[in-house]
Amino acid sequence: MKEEYKVAGMTCASCAISIESYLKPQEGVIDIAVNYPNQSVTISYDENIIPLETIGNKVKEIGFKLILGTKEDTKKEFEALEAKRLATLKKKLIFAAIFSVPIFIMSMFLMGKIPYENWIMMALALPVLFYSGAEFYTIAWKRLKSFSTNMDTLVALSTGIAFLFSVFNTVNPQYFLSKGLVPHVYFESAVIIITLILLGRFFEEKAKSKTSSAIKKLMGLKPKKVTAIRNGEEKVISYDEILKGELIILKPGDKIPVDGKVKKGTSFIDESMISGEPIPVEKMKGSNVFAGTINQKGSLRIIATKIGDETLLSQIIRLVEEAQSSKPTIQKLADKIAGIFVPIVIGLAVVTFVLWYFLGPDPSITYALLTPITVLIIACPCALGLATPTALMVGIGKGAQQGILIKDAQALETAYKIDTLILDKTGTITEGKPKVTDLIWDKNAVSTELEKVVFAIESESEHPIAEAIVAHLKTIDTESVPIDSFTSITGLGAEATYKNELYRIGNESLMIQKEITIPTQLSVKANSLKSEAKTVVYVAHKNTVVGIIAVADKVKETTLAAIEKLQQMGIEIHMLTGDNEQTAKAIANKVGIKNYQANVMPADKGAFVKELQAQGKVVAMAGDGINDSHALAQADVGIAMGSGTDIAMESAGITLMHSDLKQISKAIQLSKATMKTIKQNLFWAFIYNLIAIPIAAGALYPINGFLLNPMIAGAAMSMSSISVLSNSLRLKNKNIN
Amino acid sequence: MTIVKYKTNIHCGSCIKSVTPVLNNLDNIDLWKVDLEHDDKILEVTIDDEDKNSVVEAVKSAGFEIEEIQ
Repeated sequence: MKEEYKVAGMTCASCAISIESYLKPQEGVIDIAVNYPNQSVTISYDENIIPLETIGNKVKEIGFKLILGTKEDTKKEFEALEAKRLATLKKKLIFAAIFSVPIFIMSMFLMGKIPYENWIMMALALPVLFYSGAEFYTIAWKRLKSFSTNMDTLVALSTGIAFLFSVFNTVNPQYFLSKGLVPHVYFESAVIIITLILLGRFFEEKAKSKTSSAIKKLMGLKPKKVTAIRNGEEKVISYDEILKGELIILKPGDKIPVDGKVKKGTSFIDESMISGEPIPVEKMKGSNVFAGTINQKGSLRIIATKIGDETLLSQIIRLVEEAQSSKPTIQKLADKIAGIFVPIVIGLAVVTFVLWYFLGPDPSITYALLTPITVLIIACPCALGLATPTALMVGIGKGAQQGILIKDAQALETAYKIDTLILDKTGTITEGKPKVTDLIWDKNAVSTELEKVVFAIESESEHPIAEAIVAHLKTIDTESVPIDSFTSITGLGAEATYKNELYRIGNESLMIQKEITIPTQLSVKANSLKSEAKTVVYVAHKNTVVGIIAVADKVKETTLAAIEKLQQMGIEIHMLTGDNEQTAKAIANKVGIKNYQANVMPADKGAFVKELQAQGKVVAMAGDGINDSHALAQADVGIAMGSGTDIAMESAGITLMHSDLKQISKAIQLSKATMKTIKQNLFWAFIYNLIAIPIAAGALYPINGFLLNPMIAGAAMSMSSISVLSNSLRLKNKNIN
Repeated sequence: MTIVKYKTNIHCGSCIKSVTPVLNNLDNIDLWKVDLEHDDKILEVTIDDEDKNSVVEAVKSAGFEIEEIQ
């Protein structure tokens, strides 16, 4: 039996390894694969030898929870558990912060001014260590049993020792005083480290929970109630009750619940989420409609052909889910360093102890205890803990000032590596709304009079292109005239009479069908407009075309310059669109993009990102629609347009508030600057350690009898934190273009 | 548009579920309804053209008996 289950409680990639290594040797378990980002485990097992409950109990033994039950149930239970975990983490963080701040103030500014200060600080530090920081010690203990270390070990070790040593000096200061040594306390380092690391974890968890909110929004596109015709009667049923082959009634404004085929009626449907095409598509008998799209005008009866998980919308949801869970979590730089740093520090402490014990002066046991403890305290990862989060925080703040919203710190950590950028056409390169680009009248026509008639006729029409024309005429202050009659001709256009004269507005087919002459001059113009991928509407008076109106989705003003700049930065640019070949080609040529693909379905966009990633490219994707959400989630860096859909913004790591492609190059520069700052910070975090640790161990003692004064040790630690902080703040004034 | 009646053995809710897709998929019919209360389980269909036979074929393909009432 092979089954996938969710696992709650995994906090790092090594949790996954520990589950794997614990379950694998169990009798009856054939194979096991833990997916940490997805928080799930796939187990093949022989249920006759090891029942599922036993596996569940085994997982529980090592501190995790296997969620058993149906897919829907487990999802809910898992989400509830995750939400609870985030809430607990928040509580622990607030708790830690409340108690840490007074300790910090006391030790930094009020030292020696308050009676019983050490006792007060000890009392304040207790809840931080034993409630907020408890997890560090349990994880470090579990890891110790398997002889491995990570950031948690370093935190547990240094805070634990700093705390115990401080408690000893608070309770029994006489011990060191009698030997001529200062009994210093380090409560503030212990609690500040715990608070800072919890803060980092909280942000990380929050980013993770955003993933599911994007999916929840996608699911929200399914309507709750649906009107169906069952056995000849209209019935309101819930979404889950829809059957295949069922006849469903759609009123204007309704969300389409299933993929289906139109049986009766005509209407316009907003399909931008699937095709990216901004103009609603006309649907009539036999046309296919898709779940999640919106019926705009007119009523339809559709037959459900695909329901539930089979719909295109469900496929998009699944792809987004997969893309988000399969994204490799970048190994945290600090964690990596801690893996090497911890054993070295412990080794040094042991060596220090041994050397002092055997070679040190009397009382050798005192020195042998004091020096390794100073080594361990000096090694405190205070500055190390600050290095990444402070730089990211300043970087994110700077981005926000420029209208670049960075939701996912990982995006900022990756953006500087981008070498390939995929742009969605509609709404990203272009404005995403059809607008009148050209209005050309025959030289013999009285244009002002005709504009009024066009305005009147198009105001009556329900066609989306008519809306664009009306909007344009409004901007040039056109007045309306009373028309006598109006007839809409489905799929072709409309005709109307004004002052007993016949006017027709529509496409070329209408003109051909009604045998209307198109003057050569206008015909030439129309053809050239069509070659620019513009939609051409003809205006006829009696039997002659007197004007043409071109409608198109305009390229944003800043697009061309932005693309040029990105290309200069050495980034390869691709354009993808659900639009037809002609439009795609025209736009790509206009903005100078060589690589483009037309008629691309949502799933293909994501697949294309994957394909480029497989070639070893670091891919950024910029888009604005639901149809881009899979690709945005799949890309190394997803960039959503602020004017786009919420789902695109949730799926992407970066949102551009100005919807301006120029911001992409800025985001890349910002990422470069931020990463540089992080690396500098790590240098500052370590340089003090490198100098102070040997001194703390007593390296100078044989030379000049110098042993590190704990005050100086404390100062060195503060200096490294201050260096890191001020270096991060420098990023604020950096010029980003 | 004509209304045609058929005698069938579509006798319960789940029978209706099985004929629903086949009847809805017929292009020439607009509305249909089975009177489950009636002894003869009368299927009443509004047909756009004269092709009454397509209904018979469709219902038979779903595994039911059907016979037009003259």
